[in-house]
Amino acid sequence: MEFGEYVRQAREAHRAKDRAYSVRQVARRVGIEPAYLSKIERGEQPPPSEATIRRIAEDLKEDPDVLLALAGKVSADLREAICKRPQVFAALLRELKDAPDHAILRLVREVRDGNW
Amino acid sequence: MVTLEHDSLVFRFPSVHADARLAVNFRRTLRVPDDNREYPLPPGLGSFPLLHVDDYAERTPSAWSAHGGVFLPMYQAEALWIRFDRDDYPFAVKIAAGKIDAVTGGPWSPGLTAEPQDYLVTDKQPWLDGFCIAKGHVRQFVAMPLGEGFTAEEQLTGAAEHGGVQIVVYPMKAEVYEEAVAYRRMAPTIRMRMRWAVGSPVIGLAPGGLIRQKVYKDPHGISAWDLTQSSRCFVHILNSAQYRAVTGRMPPTEPLTAQAYTNAGLPWFDYYAADQAALAGSPKLASLDSVAAMGIKKGASPLTDNVPVNPGQVIRIRPDGSTVREGSF
Repeated sequence: MEFGEYVRQAREAHRAKDRAYSVRQVARRVGIEPAYLSKIERGEQPPPSEATIRRIAEDLKEDPDVLLALAGKVSADLREAICKRPQVFAALLRELKDAPDHAILRLVREVRDGNW
Repeated sequence: MVTLEHDSLVFRFPSVHADARLAVNFRRTLRVPDDNREYPLPPGLGSFPLLHVDDYAERTPSAWSAHGGVFLPMYQAEALWIRFDRDDYPFAVKIAAGKIDAVTGGPWSPGLTAEPQDYLVTDKQPWLDGFCIAKGHVRQFVAMPLGEGFTAEEQLTGAAEHGGVQIVVYPMKAEVYEEAVAYRRMAPTIRMRMRWAVGSPVIGLAPGGLIRQKVYKDPHGISAWDLTQSSRCFVHILNSAQYRAVTGRMPPTEPLTAQAYTNAGLPWFDYYAADQAALAGSPKLASLDSVAAMGIKKGASPLTDNVPVNPGQVIRIRPDGSTVREGSF
């Protein structure tokens, strides 16, 4: 699915329950012009900047990484992490690209719980 | 398991159900005036940054390493509210501040208690803004330094020992969830190079101004929750100046005052769920002095900009809505 179409569907799903999700109101909260958001949704404008995509994700309660991926972008923090240790991360990603989610989740860093 | 994702704590219980995922987010907000008038729900002004305690173990109090968990920065007298983001899967969540249960005022204990109910239920409760002092009213969570006597913990126990926020999450039993999902499908709709003194926690939460907010009764019953499965997290709070010294990162800017926000014509919120029963509130928590009241007793002025405001624009949010509760600037 294209970025704009995904955003439109997500926004309209919210809009069905809450009028605060009109193009105009979402655009206002995100800090862009309504006409610009409308064009993005229709695919007439390429996806916006990473910062704007993050604000859209926040407003629509979507995962920013998912929206960034749909926009063909990698978030700045991930880019920085990969660029610092490109070989390690390239190998890791290639190794894990076909692994099921539950296997990858086992590698995710957990918040450590202690004694309290 | 608990992970830290985009400044949210994400609780997952893959061994219970693939859908069992809850994100808990700590929202910056304005401090409502602490003047015994009741106020609508204040807006969300973005997330507090959350960092692993382990990443800064050499610069944070040694007790924090023992506790594990995460930490966030708050200015003195800054307020916060807690947002629960979930998909369909319901959870029972116990929230404590300084190991004082925010719903009952009782001491932190493992497990869930039905009477009095010492937890909240995420499919009914999208947010928690403070200590549940009475039916339909909470006193806002307000950051105060431990050791000065303002926090709920100090007022109830006489000790400044824990500070921070403690959370434990219990998922609904998978079979109860599946039954509920099947039923719904039948329906047509719906983070100083120095270490502080051993054991010195920094910030705790004190009861602030009065907010209209209900803490809802558990409509599922305590048997609906899988008490064999739980995940918990200690959320430490650091004052913003110390945060910069510890992390090298800039803390968020100081939040707007209620007066500046209101004068700008920006909205406040009310959550309206008439058909849902609310808890009566805790007499113990109701007996606590608010920050302003304690300040008067101490002959101190802990709150600046504590002038009454008249929220002009109040947006009513209903449970079936998407529950936007953010300020826009």
